[in-house]
Amino acid sequence: MEATTDQLVSIEKPAITAPPDWEPVIIGILCNWCSYAGSDLTGTSRLQYPPNIRIIRVPCSSRVDPWFLVKSLQTTADGVLVSGCHPGDCHYISGNYYARRRFLVTKNLLNFLGFHEDRVQFSWVSAAEGPKFAKVVAKVTEDVKKLGPLHLYKKENFSK
Amino acid sequence: MDYTNQIREIATKLFAEGKIDVFVGYRTTGFDGNQVPVLINGPGEADRLVFTDQSVFNLVNYLKHEHTRRKRVGLVVKGCDSRSLNLLLTEGQVKRENLYVVGIACEGVVDEKGEKLQNCTECVVPDPVVADVVLTPAGIRAGTPAPAVPKPYNVNPDVEKLLALPLAERTEYFEEIFESCIRCNACRHSCPLCYCAKCCIDQETATLYHGANTTSSAFHALVTWSLHLAGRCVDCRNCEKACPRGLPLHLLHKQNEQVIYRNFQEHLAGVVEGDRGAFYKYSLRDPDDFIM
Repeated sequence: MEATTDQLVSIEKPAITAPPDWEPVIIGILCNWCSYAGSDLTGTSRLQYPPNIRIIRVPCSSRVDPWFLVKSLQTTADGVLVSGCHPGDCHYISGNYYARRRFLVTKNLLNFLGFHEDRVQFSWVSAAEGPKFAKVVAKVTEDVKKLGPLHLYKKENFSK
Repeated sequence: MDYTNQIREIATKLFAEGKIDVFVGYRTTGFDGNQVPVLINGPGEADRLVFTDQSVFNLVNYLKHEHTRRKRVGLVVKGCDSRSLNLLLTEGQVKRENLYVVGIACEGVVDEKGEKLQNCTECVVPDPVVADVVLTPAGIRAGTPAPAVPKPYNVNPDVEKLLALPLAERTEYFEEIFESCIRCNACRHSCPLCYCAKCCIDQETATLYHGANTTSSAFHALVTWSLHLAGRCVDCRNCEKACPRGLPLHLLHKQNEQVIYRNFQEHLAGVVEGDRGAFYKYSLRDPDDFIM
C-alpha cells in the first residue's frame, strides 16, 4: 500500500507517558576479555543485577562503532551501556584508548541533539570486578527508569 | 581574489607539456556569476576556466569519480580543500604523482548575496597545505608551501548558542531539522571524504518503501554519517552547499570538531601530512571522567 504525501507529513507523535508496568530496555555492549568475563563472574558469584540489560559481546571496546549506539537508540533501546577493559589492561594493548576518544565525541553529539546524557553510559569493568558490574547495571537501569521510555527518533513511531 | 588568467595559463601549459589528462576547475553558469565545477579535457577548452571569490565548491570531491580515476589530474584547491586532499593522500585514495595541484592563497569565498561564508570567517588554515604552485596576490609561488601558521581557533556561534539552550529546546530544534531531511544523500555524495563503495547508512535508503524516508531514518543517517566523519571533517561545507533543503549540517560537524579540538590536543583534520584523523591515535591523558 502506498502512503500519500499527506499521510507521511502528518505523523502523530506518541504520548510520552510510560505504562505502569514499563521496564527499560538497555543494550549492553561488552568487551570479550574484561567486561564480558566480569559479567560472567557476577553470574557465577550469584550477585543479582537488573534483567533489563541485553548483552552483546564484542572482541574489544574499540570494535564499538558509534553507529551501534545510534542504531540501538533508533530501534529498541531506552539506554545503552558500553563497557571495556580498564585503561592499560586492553587485550589488544591500546584498543580502549581509541574507543575512549570515540565515546567522548559520541556522547557529546548525542547530548547536543537532545538525548539526556544518562541514556548513553560507559564503564570500565575488569574480569575480576563482578560486584562492580552488578552496581553499574543497577545504576544505568535506575537512571534510565527515571528518564522514562525513549520516544525520540524511534523507528516504530515513524513507520507507515 | 581573481586568478582566472593565471589558472587558464597554467592549464594550457600543462596540457601542452602533456603532464595532465584532465583539469578540474570552475566555470560560470551565466546566472548571476554562479559557478559550477567543470572538467576540461584539452587545451582548447581552457578558456572556460574561471576563479573568483564565488568559486565555492570543493573540487577534491571529483577525484573519487570515474572520469578522474587512473588519470593524471590538474586541480584547483583552496585552503580547506587542500586539507581534504591531504587526508585522501594519507588514506591512499589518490596518488600524489598523478596530481598537479594549483593552490590558492584563499581570502575567503562569498555566497550569492556577496557575504563571506561562515566557514571562511572561522577559517584556521587559509593557505593550501598540499600544492605544486600557489597563487598569491603577490604572484605565483612555486614548490612546497611554507609551513602554515594556524590562525586562532574560532568556536562556531551557532553551536555555542544551541549548547546554551535547555535540552528540550535543543531536541525540538533538531527534530525539525531531521524532519525536513528528504534522504537524498546529496550531503554524502558531495563529501570529498565519503568514498566507501558501500555505505552503512544505505540500509534505509529505499524511499519507495514504507517509512524509509522518515525523521527516524534521517536521524540515523545524518548522525552516523557525521560520527564517521568526526576527526576527519575539514569544514569545507560542501554538504551544506549541496543540501536541497538547506539544512544546517555544519552544526553536527562543528560540534564534533569542537569537542575534538578542546579535548584531543587541539587536533585539526588534514593539516599535518600523514595524520589520519583524531580517532586514529590516542593519548594517555585523554579525558576519562565520563566513564564509570
